[in-house]
Amino acid sequence: MDVRAHVSMVFHLDKCIGCHTCSVACKNIWTGREGTEYMWWNNVETKPGTGFPTQWEDQDKYKGGWEFEGEVLKLKSQKNKLQGFVNLFYNPNMPGLDDYYEPWTYKYEDLFNAPLGDDQPTAVPISKITGEEISIESGPNWDDDLGGSNLYAKNDPNLEAMTQEERDLMFEVENIAMMYLPRICNHCANPSCVASCPSGALYKRGEDGIVLINQDKCRGWRACIAACPYKKIYYNWKTGKSEKCILCYPRLETGQAPACFHSCVGRIRYMGVLLYDADRIPDAMKVPEHSLVESQRSIILNPHDPKVVEAAKRNGISDEFIDAAQNSPVYKYVVEWKLALPLHIEYRTMPMLFYVPPLLPIQGKVENGMYEHDPEKFFTSLDKARLSVSYLARLFSANNESIIISALKKMMAVRYFKRVQQVPDIDKDKVEAIMREANVSDEEAEAIFAMTSLPTVYDRFVLPPIQREEAIEPKMSTEKCKGCTGCGEVQTPERGL
Amino acid sequence: MSDFFLLISLPYVAMFSLITVTIYRFKSKKFSLSSLSSQFLEKDKLFWGSVPWHMGIGIIFLGHVVAFTMPKLLQALVSKTNILYILEGIGLIAAMFALGGLVVLFLRRLRNARIQAVTSNMDLIILSLLTLQILLGILVATLYRWGAAWAPSTVTPYLWSILSFRPDVSYVASMPLIIKAHIVIAWVIILFMPFSRLIHIFALPLEYITRLPQIVVWNSRRLKEEVIIAQLEAQSRRHFLKSAFGITTGLILLSIGIADKVIPFFRGPSLSAKEKEEMLKNKLEKMKATIKQKELENERLVNEYIYIADLKDLKTDEGLYFTDYSMKPALAFKDERGLPLLYSAKCTHLGCTVTNKVKNGKLLCPCHISHFDVKTGDVLDGPAPKALPTVKFILMDQSQQIVINPDKSKLNEYKVYIIKEGNT
Repeated sequence: MDVRAHVSMVFHLDKCIGCHTCSVACKNIWTGREGTEYMWWNNVETKPGTGFPTQWEDQDKYKGGWEFEGEVLKLKSQKNKLQGFVNLFYNPNMPGLDDYYEPWTYKYEDLFNAPLGDDQPTAVPISKITGEEISIESGPNWDDDLGGSNLYAKNDPNLEAMTQEERDLMFEVENIAMMYLPRICNHCANPSCVASCPSGALYKRGEDGIVLINQDKCRGWRACIAACPYKKIYYNWKTGKSEKCILCYPRLETGQAPACFHSCVGRIRYMGVLLYDADRIPDAMKVPEHSLVESQRSIILNPHDPKVVEAAKRNGISDEFIDAAQNSPVYKYVVEWKLALPLHIEYRTMPMLFYVPPLLPIQGKVENGMYEHDPEKFFTSLDKARLSVSYLARLFSANNESIIISALKKMMAVRYFKRVQQVPDIDKDKVEAIMREANVSDEEAEAIFAMTSLPTVYDRFVLPPIQREEAIEPKMSTEKCKGCTGCGEVQTPERGL
Repeated sequence: MSDFFLLISLPYVAMFSLITVTIYRFKSKKFSLSSLSSQFLEKDKLFWGSVPWHMGIGIIFLGHVVAFTMPKLLQALVSKTNILYILEGIGLIAAMFALGGLVVLFLRRLRNARIQAVTSNMDLIILSLLTLQILLGILVATLYRWGAAWAPSTVTPYLWSILSFRPDVSYVASMPLIIKAHIVIAWVIILFMPFSRLIHIFALPLEYITRLPQIVVWNSRRLKEEVIIAQLEAQSRRHFLKSAFGITTGLILLSIGIADKVIPFFRGPSLSAKEKEEMLKNKLEKMKATIKQKELENERLVNEYIYIADLKDLKTDEGLYFTDYSMKPALAFKDERGLPLLYSAKCTHLGCTVTNKVKNGKLLCPCHISHFDVKTGDVLDGPAPKALPTVKFILMDQSQQIVINPDKSKLNEYKVYIIKEGNT
């Protein structure tokens, strides 16, 4: 057993209001530079929708992630290393600028410098790459809130999981349903981007599992951009290097939560430590699709188990890390309550960011001008949910619907449990039956409620000290470590000739 | 002078810049190293440019490396004409691929607004140089055919003479301008290489072949090692000094050992008395040859006409070598009437010396098998473009009088002289 610690995340989608504050916080800190304008290390997608970059989930097109063939995992983007070398000259699977959008600004000076005339002056859009006037054809949230859903939502690759009838129901105007999906780098435990990098520039930090690109080693071969199934690695066209979410590690190392976590208006984001068994990676991803979620859960170790704690200490994991793992909200959501699920685990990269699926408004239909649905069947009508269970299963459990159903039942049971406490308009026996069916005890329901609805910032972010520079300074000369804290760049990063 | 600058000074400047700047960038300017791919901004034309270009230039480069490192092997191979044709054919096709790809890449860079946003002046310089170089290469391959046959004995020794610090341009000095230009532009490209995007050639990620899929980097473990070293240093300075002394001594001994091997490699092995004697003799002979050469030059500078041979000593089937007024080899024969027949022995193709034996009325240049008519000097077959030029001569009798109308009965008494250009 090779116990390692991982700073992992839970996004509670039931609480997400789709305000993009996280995206803006991230953009302001990290991607305001030339060459990064189009990058959104954090973005929020409307589902159903084609996402960013367009149709990133279509792995027939982009060939991201791993493929389970025979007894081995192979990169979809390169079956062997020879293909990796051939792809250096032209990568056939890499998205181009037009799959994202051409970043633009406006000629604001025209508003002030326009000569006197009969018309109001306008500021025309200009490309931030060429400086020429462009007509804007897409943007980072082009299909936000189902805008243009005929074009976008209907091309969502995940709709394949649904029957035609379900699809038709979903897109009926009175039924139309959507959810938000905030996405950052998943900091996978079995990352395909790291495996694809010819230069060996991508790596996973041993202490906290953050996946990073060494900018001094990156040579712009672009293999990672195709290999990441979540398309969370972006090519900086100016510097000729790839960049990705760094989980705000300079903030983490000074005891702050990442900017997108800290700024989250709906407080949907949780961050904590998971202990996992590195020896069983990647074997845990070599199982049939429907058992992938269970397989990933099984490598996450119980931080209260004395054997695990002992093995962790032997591996050099500090007491603070073990403490954080024992109080981790992520461990509770993922393993104890089994509410949080990985996004697209069928790509077999073992993402360490988990999503609590949204509770579903149920279907109804308009009859005699009245929107009718049956409140009695609120709980038992998951099969009639507007966002069908099959759609959620496609996103969060590799099409295993029973995992989604048990998570949703548990969430619903917690609602009934709290409702009967506050507004006793439901029969208590009925609630108990619901609790039994959802397999949740009173204590657990109370704990889930508290963590979902009333958490303080210290409940949501249980961060161990990763203060690297504080660990360095008392032990040795600071001169020796010049430039090895923060982002690590001591020279101005300039494009080569 | 320009030969010295372009074929000796430029190569050393270019190689110096290649080595030092490349090392500097890989050590201290790592961020600036990148393939600088523009596939993200434009991908369709890139495919038709980048793939044929890299494929073509890869094959061409390999061919040049073989000619440079294994000239003997290449010569043995191309002595069979069908192998020669195949190799040259592959080379030409690869060059066409490279040229086609390069033109696509060049046009794309000039015409696409997005690509222009990431185009530097150096990119344009490099693209121009590469296009010119490929065009010159194709011209050399078609105009001066079968480079695979002649390059290993001309350009390869020149390159080795540069690399072994005994520069000698004589191998290429008399080559046509186009071949010289091809060589010079190659050095210019090497000179620019470390300052341009071409440096990505050295970033080829060969380590990927053997690498394991996942990479994990531990900050704390790296840190711990550093702490242990620091503590060791502090605890036992004497131990440190001891080990430093040991390491220094070891390094000195090692460098002596290496120097012992390296210096003789450049200086040549130490000599025994006999070898020294031989070397001195050789030197003496070389100096004598030089003196002779200088005497000949002086003779040609001072005298209006120079004695070559008695007419009776000339033969019809075997020429007599002599040195003409321009210090080039020449041949003297006798024709059927018993009168002298003088030609320059410098082949009009690439300047080899023509053999003096006449076979079936033909003279042979052994380098590229050109045949010349011994009666007129005209080209019979082979790559030589022009006839061998004749050398002007006069006949003199025993009383040193110029013979205007040679008397057939007195032919054996006449002597043959060559005369300066311009005299009649």
